[in-house]
Amino acid sequence: MRYPGGTTPDDTDSLILPIMSHPIYLDHAATTPVLPEVLEAMEPFFGSRFGNPSSTHRWGREARVALDEARSRLARCMGANVDEVCFTSGGTEGDNLAVLGPWRAHGDTARRAIVTTPVEHKAVLEAVHQAAREGAEERLLRMTHDGVVDMDSADRLVDGDVAIMTVMWVNNEIGVMQPVPALAELAHARGVTFHTDAVQAFGKVTIDAGAVPFDLLTMSGHKIGAPKGIGAIYIRRGTRLAPLFHGGSQDRGRRPGTENVAAAVGLARAAELAVAHQEEEWARLEALRDRLEGAILARISDAVIHGRGAPRAPHVLNVSVPGVDSESLLMALDLAGVACSGGSACQSGSTAPSHVLLAIGTRPDLAASAIRMSLGSLSNDACIDRVAELFPALVAKARGTALV
Amino acid sequence: MAGERVVVAMSGGVDSSVAAAMLVQQGYDVVGVTMNLFCHGDDIPDRPCCSLESTNDARRVCEQLGVPHYVLNLQSAFGRDVVRDFVDEYSRGRTPIPCVRCNTFTKFRDLLHKADGIDARWIATGHYARVVGGELRRGVDAGKDQTYFLWGLQRAVLSRLILPVGHLTKVETRAQAHALGLEVVAEKAESQDICFVPDGDHAKVIARELGEDAPSLARGPIVTLDGRVIGEHDGHARYTIGQRRGLPGGSTEPLFVVAIRPREREVVVGPREALLGRGVIARGVNWLVDPLSAGERVQLRVRHRQAPVWAELLRSELDEIELALDEPVSAITPGQSMVLYDGERVLGGGFIEQAVGQRMALPMAVAV
Repeated sequence: MRYPGGTTPDDTDSLILPIMSHPIYLDHAATTPVLPEVLEAMEPFFGSRFGNPSSTHRWGREARVALDEARSRLARCMGANVDEVCFTSGGTEGDNLAVLGPWRAHGDTARRAIVTTPVEHKAVLEAVHQAAREGAEERLLRMTHDGVVDMDSADRLVDGDVAIMTVMWVNNEIGVMQPVPALAELAHARGVTFHTDAVQAFGKVTIDAGAVPFDLLTMSGHKIGAPKGIGAIYIRRGTRLAPLFHGGSQDRGRRPGTENVAAAVGLARAAELAVAHQEEEWARLEALRDRLEGAILARISDAVIHGRGAPRAPHVLNVSVPGVDSESLLMALDLAGVACSGGSACQSGSTAPSHVLLAIGTRPDLAASAIRMSLGSLSNDACIDRVAELFPALVAKARGTALV
Repeated sequence: MAGERVVVAMSGGVDSSVAAAMLVQQGYDVVGVTMNLFCHGDDIPDRPCCSLESTNDARRVCEQLGVPHYVLNLQSAFGRDVVRDFVDEYSRGRTPIPCVRCNTFTKFRDLLHKADGIDARWIATGHYARVVGGELRRGVDAGKDQTYFLWGLQRAVLSRLILPVGHLTKVETRAQAHALGLEVVAEKAESQDICFVPDGDHAKVIARELGEDAPSLARGPIVTLDGRVIGEHDGHARYTIGQRRGLPGGSTEPLFVVAIRPREREVVVGPREALLGRGVIARGVNWLVDPLSAGERVQLRVRHRQAPVWAELLRSELDEIELALDEPVSAITPGQSMVLYDGERVLGGGFIEQAVGQRMALPMAVAV
């Protein structure tokens, strides 16, 4: 079986997954390898089926049909109508469009506030800051120490002044799930446009526009086995949205620019696979994560697992060890062949303590020692057991590396 | 020894790139790191080191050498240990030497700390200096020797330090870079300015750290040695000992800055001979050999590339030493380094506290 369970480092197609030979990839929340089925689905569109979907000739028609089909298949994965799906270049564009689009289009001058959380991805936070520069009032929800939105604070902050509320479904750094269905209901009842960043949630939690009244939802391809540079947003019928780009009528004018047909086809295929395997993959990753978490806690008595008291998606494990500098530990892990990540990466490639951990009241020294391990298609029993052995040994070496 | 792990601090320049390549050739288990010392927000693209481009160059060189490369975020440590001290020294009327503090704290101490975390026996840099038998020696290329900036290293650091290009000349280093195929960096320009001071304008850094109204940037009088006010300056931090630029003209002999009195906000000027000092007191002393005692004779430098001067150690206390110079030296500047040598060997150093025997240093009433 090629997807997703049961892959072992030795039977994987070396063309598709060159990273798999021996090193262990525990950074699926950063990106994932393109799945073989996805690559296969995309291939014709790099070759003979290269047409521009806007063209009226046979090449154009062929591309247009493929694009429309991809859109309807992706729509089915989210319980959406086909016209409610808009392709984007990925999570950052999706979040920007889903926040700034309605902000710039909404006509109700009485509603000037945007409600969000301090643990959002920077793509949401920076888009909200941009809206603030354009006159919006920013309101930040209170978080519990486990990283969950405090519902009382949502009840207080979401009032008649609020235009938009944006809350992520699954946090990318600690895996904590927000009560998105309840928050969407609350927003809906108070006439507030609700957006959720579901980049880490897609393929983990059930996303059904018919069951949860979100108005906008962002997803990204490369987190679920599609290539980088493709994503989509769900836009509920009737939601007004100003485009970020100008210059064409593609995607109903919401996203001008020639569509990335091959990647859209790949995204639809990856989304179908993710949804089809969602339950078994959840159970598989949860068992692996619990095993790794249990081993770490058993061997490192002072280790802290962030968000442990909250409902979590099963693919993210974020751990701090007091006195251990995450930079040193990440180097040691990589040198031993284990790829994890630290806080937020900056453009030079260095890391700074996570804004998410600091926002939920984590001690700065613990935030500076945080390591995120994220599981996915490349994770299996053997590699988790190797990491469970290796991690405590490397921690012992890295003890006392925190700079004074 | 071959097979042992070494962490190489790589700026993206030719010296550290060749250092890393030489260690790879010698069979070391090389790990390249680039230290991110300050925010790249006001990035200066043509700066040869410490820019985003330079980090990318270091990464490319490591990729070419087939060794891992990491970027270390040392911004808060660098801000605290180097930048903050830099602006505070100007506030105290001194002329700081941030490269010494960066080497002492950030580049070597913090790097060693990181090396411990990944089980590395050694650290290495591209400095022009040598470590021989646990002692620091001048680089073979006299024009490039960087020991003036390295006296602050702990002896424990020296015992784990490799300086591969210290026995090369700069010309040889560039030739090595070509020979090793490191074309990305082989002909890169030298870094000259202080890395975190854009355009060499340190007043901007002071204003950013302490505010535009920092006392060291406030107007004050320019006074002569006998107390006459002959003009106004726009911040004593803009002046350093020995400086001529920015002083009023019109006097019969050329005038130089001979002292800065931060409390009075005065910049004191005098003739060339008022700059001559016959002794030095230094603090923050660090010995790279067993500490010397009073009466011993050494060679010293009070600035980079200065020809060494013979001197006698008058006092050697825990944190303060005083030396008498065989011949007077001009513009001995508080805040700069004084480094002691025995030929090629670097014995230690300290930060200059004051010149001794300088005419203006005497109490005013006694001044001739």
